[in-house]
Amino acid sequence: MKMQREVFIAGVGETVFGKHNVDYDVLGRQAAFQALQASNIDRPDVVQTAYVGNGLNGMGAAQRVFRDLGMCGKLAIIRVESACSAGAMAVYSAIKDVTTGVADISIGVGCENHTMHRATGTAFAMGMDDVEGMQGAVMTGKYAMRANRYMHETGATIEDLAMITVKNRKHATNNPHAWFKGDISVEAIVNSRMIAYPLTLQQCCGISDGAGAVIVCSKEMVKKLGIEKPVKVAGAVVQSGPYHNRPRDITGDDITESSAQQLYEESGIGPEEVDIVELHDAFTIAELLYYECLGMCKKGDGLKYLRDGQSTYGGQCVFSPRGGMLSYGHPIGASGAAQIAANVKQLRGECEGYQVDPIPKVALSHVTGGGLGGTEHAACTMHMLTKAW
Amino acid sequence: MSDSKGSDKSKKNKKKKEKEPDITFFHPELLEIPEDGSPAYLKGYKCKKCGQLDFPKLTPCPSCWGTDFEMVKLSRKGKLYSVTDIYIGQPGMKTPYMFGYIDLPENLRIFAQMEGEIGSFKCDEEVELTTGTIRTNMDGLPVTSYKFTKPSV
Repeated sequence: MKMQREVFIAGVGETVFGKHNVDYDVLGRQAAFQALQASNIDRPDVVQTAYVGNGLNGMGAAQRVFRDLGMCGKLAIIRVESACSAGAMAVYSAIKDVTTGVADISIGVGCENHTMHRATGTAFAMGMDDVEGMQGAVMTGKYAMRANRYMHETGATIEDLAMITVKNRKHATNNPHAWFKGDISVEAIVNSRMIAYPLTLQQCCGISDGAGAVIVCSKEMVKKLGIEKPVKVAGAVVQSGPYHNRPRDITGDDITESSAQQLYEESGIGPEEVDIVELHDAFTIAELLYYECLGMCKKGDGLKYLRDGQSTYGGQCVFSPRGGMLSYGHPIGASGAAQIAANVKQLRGECEGYQVDPIPKVALSHVTGGGLGGTEHAACTMHMLTKAW
Repeated sequence: MSDSKGSDKSKKNKKKKEKEPDITFFHPELLEIPEDGSPAYLKGYKCKKCGQLDFPKLTPCPSCWGTDFEMVKLSRKGKLYSVTDIYIGQPGMKTPYMFGYIDLPENLRIFAQMEGEIGSFKCDEEVELTTGTIRTNMDGLPVTSYKFTKPSV
């Protein structure tokens, strides 16, 4: 979006991700409360607008998150939905309020509980009014087709794909918020249960629960709240996925490529300046393709970028330093907000045990959403954050 | 192959139940299985205003907002762009099953289930339209629709 005035992140929060016995609203409230406290806010009438990203947890979800915080009745609370992109889109909406002057301080929350609401042993699918949905389409399969084509064209192997899981789980080893973490071998990944060939279980994000929250505000509000380490929102982009029913290259991703281009242009920050990235690594193949789509390396060089260690500690840019969705799991409404929360903590040097060294100054996040028939993704949301102190 | 079966069952189903039965054929606007036994074909829709050809039918034409279309029989053979074997599928669907993207000479990409042996399809091979069961409907009856398979020699 075209920024009309500067917007800063005052504070963030994130829950532990995994299987929770409390519902989305409790998780959302935990993350929101952390973010409020981190922003030096001590009463319920400071934040002026609120957005809640949630996918599948029923009607009236947004207000339920804020009820026990005493905030209902004091501000407009709006629910945002765009499948996996919802949480990031909630933060985007909060940023929009502040940059346009609708509010001086706003909160974006992403929260979701899948495990209390979803049957296990089934895959996320498109609706039955969708021709692909009727034919049995599932998101795992759509990514698996991208993987098969990539392997066909480049000679990459399942073992190569597995290296993404190895890397991201390693990054998450000491991250208390991550679910699946630590050492795992390529062999264990390749030999885990087949989900959609060539994607095995350990190459797919877990169905998990969690929440993230981000408080954004104006420059004046940063001073008023006494925020010592404000993070600047250098760019925020939401795009909708173009419709296709014609042959196209699915080893690329049109919406990620065009969203990245817009983000780089609007922020004035190019891919070579980005220190860390949290992206939509819902499946191993996605991260591999997105190295190329984000312009981190040339088209066709994604595998080399991974093998050369460019996407881990000491490389050109650390991808998924929190462990990504492959470690957190992917509560669809929550992930986008949690990625931003994790990036802010990295920029502030608050990630004890999993802090990227040297402390990053520029962080990018990317999350797509939905699998509308004829699009790779219905939506894509990206944010560029920079150190501003 | 199972076209006659499909229509028989839908007739029976109508007699048995008072409530509206779920569909057993997907979908008359997408697929034609001629009664004279000639090969089934997919139906493309060409906008009469701008000439854009789409499958499935989009209303209005997303290119010019035209609302009049001419039905075009699409090629029965195409190239398999990519494919996958599904082991964890949609709720209620029997696994494994396969689906892929089939590129037709009309510059259209079709998403469809594959008929044949699991794991036997490769990118870029030629495939041909067939018809068969793609899933079970809400009444527990098979739904007939388009699928692609290895070409008959």
